[in-house]
Amino acid sequence: MLHLLKIDLKKLIDYRTFWVICGLYFFTLVAGAASGMEFLKWLGRTFEQFGQSININRIPLYHFPDIWQNLAWSAGLLKLGLAIMVVISITNEFTYRTIRQNIIDGLSREQFLISKMLTNLMLSAISMILIFLIAMVTGLIYSPTLDFPYGLTGIGFYPAYFLEVFAFLSFSLMLGVLIQRSGLTIILLLNSYLIELIIRENIDNYFPQTVPFFPLESIMNLVPLPFARYAFQEVRDYVSLGSIAIALVWTFLFNYFAYLKLKKSDI
Amino acid sequence: METVLSTQQLTKNFGRLCAVNHLDLEVKRGEVFGMLGPNGSGKTTTLGMLMGVVNPTAGNFSWFGQPPSHHIRKKIGAVLEHPIFYPYLSGQKNLELMALIKEAPVTNIPKVLELVELSDRKGDKYKTYSLGMKQRLAIASALLNDPIVLILDEPTNGLDPMGIAEIREIIKRIATDGKTIILASHMLDEVQKVCSHFAILRKGNLVHSGPVDDVGKGEEQVEVVAFHDDLALLLEGFMGASSIKKENHQYVVKMKEGFHSQDLNRYLFEKGIVATHLVTQKKSLEKQFLEILAEADHAAPIKN
Repeated sequence: MLHLLKIDLKKLIDYRTFWVICGLYFFTLVAGAASGMEFLKWLGRTFEQFGQSININRIPLYHFPDIWQNLAWSAGLLKLGLAIMVVISITNEFTYRTIRQNIIDGLSREQFLISKMLTNLMLSAISMILIFLIAMVTGLIYSPTLDFPYGLTGIGFYPAYFLEVFAFLSFSLMLGVLIQRSGLTIILLLNSYLIELIIRENIDNYFPQTVPFFPLESIMNLVPLPFARYAFQEVRDYVSLGSIAIALVWTFLFNYFAYLKLKKSDI
Repeated sequence: METVLSTQQLTKNFGRLCAVNHLDLEVKRGEVFGMLGPNGSGKTTTLGMLMGVVNPTAGNFSWFGQPPSHHIRKKIGAVLEHPIFYPYLSGQKNLELMALIKEAPVTNIPKVLELVELSDRKGDKYKTYSLGMKQRLAIASALLNDPIVLILDEPTNGLDPMGIAEIREIIKRIATDGKTIILASHMLDEVQKVCSHFAILRKGNLVHSGPVDDVGKGEEQVEVVAFHDDLALLLEGFMGASSIKKENHQYVVKMKEGFHSQDLNRYLFEKGIVATHLVTQKKSLEKQFLEILAEADHAAPIKN
């Protein structure tokens, strides 16, 4: 296993595009997550009414335990950056035909796919750890009181966030294996939410119960939007096992479809 | 001798096109096996199946008497069609990656780079290499795991005469180490110079296979020039001639079996004629190749 991960990392470690995209991704992740409070202050300075009607210091954006879900959800928006890296990494193998040489050299098709999946796992894990550390640090800075273990409720959103990133990267990997061209794959990836939204809205009228089972919807459902609670609306502030199960099935299917395609095609 | 590769009824169809048709091949240890055939005759498809990148439609094959697996591929060094590497990695890094995949010792890298004379440029990115250097790096990569079998597909494609000579030298050097080499090519000259055995493919069918040494055996052809008006008549009187043709200024006498040029020379001398030109034509692989293809065409006209 570790051997296969090493093989895929060897391909990326001297690839400048990889560092640029990952660098940008992790930078936005850290900077974005850490500057939410500054953003609220800026809103307060810019719009006079904003500061009067809502006291920004009373929005517990970075307070334990709200911070866990707030940051996990916000970080989930940025996963597209990693997904584009994954698409480039897999479609390169087809454009340069290096997948062919990898197999000639003695990787099996399964091993090739597993090596890519392991990189996805690693990127997801790094994202999760990073966002957890940011949550810890900013939480300690901004929280008025430290009340543990109450402050840790909602920490379950971190495994859910991990699954969210890994499921989406698996989806991107599958698209890359099926389409094999980077431009086309990235366009489809960017449009996939829109395409699913159109289908979903049309089906919603007849079979609303099917909506949580849509692939991208199920990924988004893992960590629900938390901010509505500051407008006195009720939000789901726990990880639902049903959403985990649906997302796990889709993650399995994405990788399995990629496997089937690799297995039966001539490379 | 130990069988390295054998294929049984190996077949590949691309839609309605039959790229390889019920192919039976056998390669023994230590052979330098040439696969010949015009472009599109199924050479690369066959090698692709043997290396696991093309799924056969029917039939099977075995390496070293075992069914194919990715473990066996690690012991085979292969370059199909053209060199494939990561363009943004240096030659050295590409080989390091390959060593990881093949589970080969990294200490082999300087050795193979030295063999193909690329040590000076190993730190440069692959995309900056010239075609000849790419081909040489490909050969280096194929040798990385000290393979028992080496598969080279058109290794001199697109090279200049100097590059071709260099690659040929490398192949010969490797062959003297006792490695089994499978060489696909349409450069007949190349195959005749380095191979011990050869097979000819045409439209996916095996039309001939045998040792290269057999080329040129069989009936002899002799060119004759002599100053005599009725030379044609005289030659027809020679009991060893099976046919006589006039080509340019000379007659070409095809000999019956058991007759050689000295018999013809003696016959002419006895008739009081001294030949000014008497040469036994050496049959080249090229000639034999074209003959075999022509025969195959005759036997099986192209079906559409």
